[in-house]
Amino acid sequence: MQPWLDLARIHAPLLIIVTPLAAAALAVLGPGGRFAWIVASLGALISAVLSVDLAWRMLERDAPQPDVLEGVALDVNGVAVFCATVLACAGVPVLFATGAMLRRDVRPRAAPLAMALLSCAIAAWIAALFAADLSSILVAVETAWLCGVAFLAIAAEQDRGALSAALRMLITGGVAAALMLLGVGFVERGLGASDLEALDDVSIAAPRLAGVGAGLMLVALTMKAGLAPLQVWVGPAFGRASAGAALVLAVLGVIGALAVMTRVGVAAVGAPVIGDGVAAALAAIAVFTVAIGSIQAVGASNVRRMAAYASVAQAGCALIGVALGSPAGLAATLVQILAQMAAMLALFGGATAIEGKAPMSALDGLSKRAPLASATMTFGALSMMGAPLMTGFLARWRLIEAGVGGGWWWTAAAMIGASLAAVVYGGRMIERLYFRRATQAIEQGGDLWRLVRVPALIFAVAVLAWGVEPSLLLRAADAAAQLDLGEGS
Amino acid sequence: MSAHLLLAAALLAPLLHASLVYVLPKPPGLRDVIHIGFSVALAGVAFAIVGAVSHGAYARIVIARPLPHVDLAFSIEPLGALMAAAMAGLGVVHAVHTSGMARAQQDQAPHRLMAMIALASGMAMAAAFSANLFTFFVASQALALVTFPLAAHGGDEEAHRRARAYLAPLLVASVGLLLPAMVWTYARAGTLEFHPGGVLAGRVDPIAANVLLLLFVFGIASAAVPPLHRWLTNSSEAGYSALVSIQATAVLPIGVMGLIKISAYVLGPVLREAQIAERILLVLAAVSMCVAALIALSKQDLRERLAYSVLAQSMAAVIGALLALPAGLFAAALQLVALMCAASTLMMAAGVTYAATGRRDAWEYAGLGRLMPWTFAAFALGAASLVGMPPFSGAWAKLWLITASSDAGLPWAAALAGLAAVLTFAHLGPLTANAIAAPAPPDAFKRADGASILLVAPVVLSGLATLLLLVIADPLSRFLGPLWGVTP
Repeated sequence: MQPWLDLARIHAPLLIIVTPLAAAALAVLGPGGRFAWIVASLGALISAVLSVDLAWRMLERDAPQPDVLEGVALDVNGVAVFCATVLACAGVPVLFATGAMLRRDVRPRAAPLAMALLSCAIAAWIAALFAADLSSILVAVETAWLCGVAFLAIAAEQDRGALSAALRMLITGGVAAALMLLGVGFVERGLGASDLEALDDVSIAAPRLAGVGAGLMLVALTMKAGLAPLQVWVGPAFGRASAGAALVLAVLGVIGALAVMTRVGVAAVGAPVIGDGVAAALAAIAVFTVAIGSIQAVGASNVRRMAAYASVAQAGCALIGVALGSPAGLAATLVQILAQMAAMLALFGGATAIEGKAPMSALDGLSKRAPLASATMTFGALSMMGAPLMTGFLARWRLIEAGVGGGWWWTAAAMIGASLAAVVYGGRMIERLYFRRATQAIEQGGDLWRLVRVPALIFAVAVLAWGVEPSLLLRAADAAAQLDLGEGS
Repeated sequence: MSAHLLLAAALLAPLLHASLVYVLPKPPGLRDVIHIGFSVALAGVAFAIVGAVSHGAYARIVIARPLPHVDLAFSIEPLGALMAAAMAGLGVVHAVHTSGMARAQQDQAPHRLMAMIALASGMAMAAAFSANLFTFFVASQALALVTFPLAAHGGDEEAHRRARAYLAPLLVASVGLLLPAMVWTYARAGTLEFHPGGVLAGRVDPIAANVLLLLFVFGIASAAVPPLHRWLTNSSEAGYSALVSIQATAVLPIGVMGLIKISAYVLGPVLREAQIAERILLVLAAVSMCVAALIALSKQDLRERLAYSVLAQSMAAVIGALLALPAGLFAAALQLVALMCAASTLMMAAGVTYAATGRRDAWEYAGLGRLMPWTFAAFALGAASLVGMPPFSGAWAKLWLITASSDAGLPWAAALAGLAAVLTFAHLGPLTANAIAAPAPPDAFKRADGASILLVAPVVLSGLATLLLLVIADPLSRFLGPLWGVTP
């Protein structure tokens, strides 16, 4: 057994990507929806176990991952190891919960395809994180994006509004793909190399071209992650999507794009000549995203839209750490990505208790009908506010610390602004959940299948409560940052 | 019982109290016994902690380490122990009063009210025993959140609107100002521990000291330093039992105590370097003290009048905390305890009056003292203490404050404290005299038997507590000595 385990460990990055892909193939070829659900969930679970093991060895035990010839160019970097673990672990409860929800959202014949698309999306986002060369990143990102769009379209077959939202995502993604392709071409031409790693250790032959290319790639990823001002698909997609599709988009789609953007951003900010310009651009996008996302979340009249805009604002906070370009900033960003994933899982997972359209009034008195979902949403909101002892607080604290340490005092204002806005929209949500009486009849799944969302909710609460004793998390984030940016975290 | 066990009991008892009251709402007798019984037990524990501290005992409980070098930890020290004893002691009479009010007003959800009062008491204990700034931040935020249901206890949309207006400034100031101050302190000192002499001593330049002082004072909005005092006045339409918790035994006292702790344990000598901010804040607090007392004069609803009166008196404690002198800190601590006793007495007396007669406005109080002599005798004690009349507890605090102001070379602050006392007399003195001396109104009681013993006894006991500081002022100055290192 041990030789097999050692072999699996040597090839862990590849297996983390391949396992969900294999599960996707089996799901499509299998006999039906339930088989696909079980296979896809198992595939995600194996991928998650492998990624946790990889992260444990590399980030906690400081054991280097051996270079092996995989047939594809993989780069085992700190951001990839950390974020792949986040995505793979989040993928398990999300797949498990969404698979069961698909029973009512899609025709039985389409369920296996939907599960396969979800597995592919997870594999593709992780592949984009581990991919060594720019073209592979492009291919992986587009695959992941198209899987997300297709999943939304399949889950929206009963609703034309959701279908048009999927179309809008497709168009936005198409524009982003063109920009990214152009960006990849410019960067490769400017560097004279195709590896992302080449950005920080060569004297760039054509710095302007490389700078424009990196900028185009980041703009494309900005669109995919739904960051301001290019978040055109966020409102319609989250507002119209089914509860399950919104959960997938928020936890896997947005977090995946944000993680890839972090990886590309870290490489670009660290590049000589173009680094300062990229950092300034990222900082501008970050502040704009925090401001616009917060304002939109405060003004939202739909639960899922509110959560989506809150996610945008939180992503802006994460970008600030990337723009800093320091190990401390990157470590803070990684913690923020984890906190955002958990908060989104809590909010969108909790919101699955609301069927159909989800106006804010649907939250009124929900705590009496769905206490676990309400408690989970409360945890999510508190974490976004930056309430002490939550992972969100920890991330906010580390970001402010890193910003102030780097002389960027305004980052403290941005973080506090995001927290204050979260106090408004999160507080309003909590008040509706616990201190109002239900004003309208809400459809609610009454069968046992709704219990499948329980692991997702418990997982979200557990991650959010990690802020109580986060030493392991902080060590992992610091180690990941040091892997990519060296000592000094 | 060891100091560690006492500390653990003080932190856990209110949580158990709240849980039991909430899950056992019926029969009402059992519910009330639990509510009062746990309050008595907590008071016993708090006084035992005072005894342990006076014998030099020390205890520290660490719950978690959420940040490097920052623990979620609780410890016992003189100021926290004194505050806990005052809060828990008043908590006993408040518990009896709440039981009486719930019966008299036929409250729809008395178990929820009592559970929230117990939780508020627990969070106040946590804040009082906080070992560092981070723990204080957590506990004070939790205190603000658990008192939201108290402020909204009316249940209608208007009550919710008021409760939101109550909670918003507390949370916004906490996140927007106190949090940056904490991060900054951590960045400079590498720790957030409360330490006699101040953790920031010698670590900040004058500009940083000035900014930090402003961030701390306005960040702790529960201390109600204007313009962040609106939560206090917005809460004044809550039920009487909730009001006692918010204004007299938990939220406001914890805010002021937080300022005293920050002044003594975080800033220390840095206060002298922050001279510009200190002077601005002293002027602001002193002027606010007089203006609040003046506004109170214009309020007819006794809850509003008392809210402004309490605000004025809390500013006196804030002035003491900002003077950067041992005598000032002692005056602030004394004033805070005196304020808690007097404000509890007055609010509970107003509650009893409303429950028995349905009267809320000051002009309606004429002659009620003849019908409710015990209640209004206690009301007179509370009012005299708030005004600062010798020999009541408020007088000693004012005396120390005036002495400390003069020592600090700020005679105008002493003069304004005197003026505020006169204005406080103007809005409470005639009211009390009119209530006691005017002819009794006919058919004043809603019920023929008037107010029950559950309502009147707590008011009388609380009123008598205002006399207590007269006896214990000297031992108290020795007890609080470690706060500043010497006896003032």
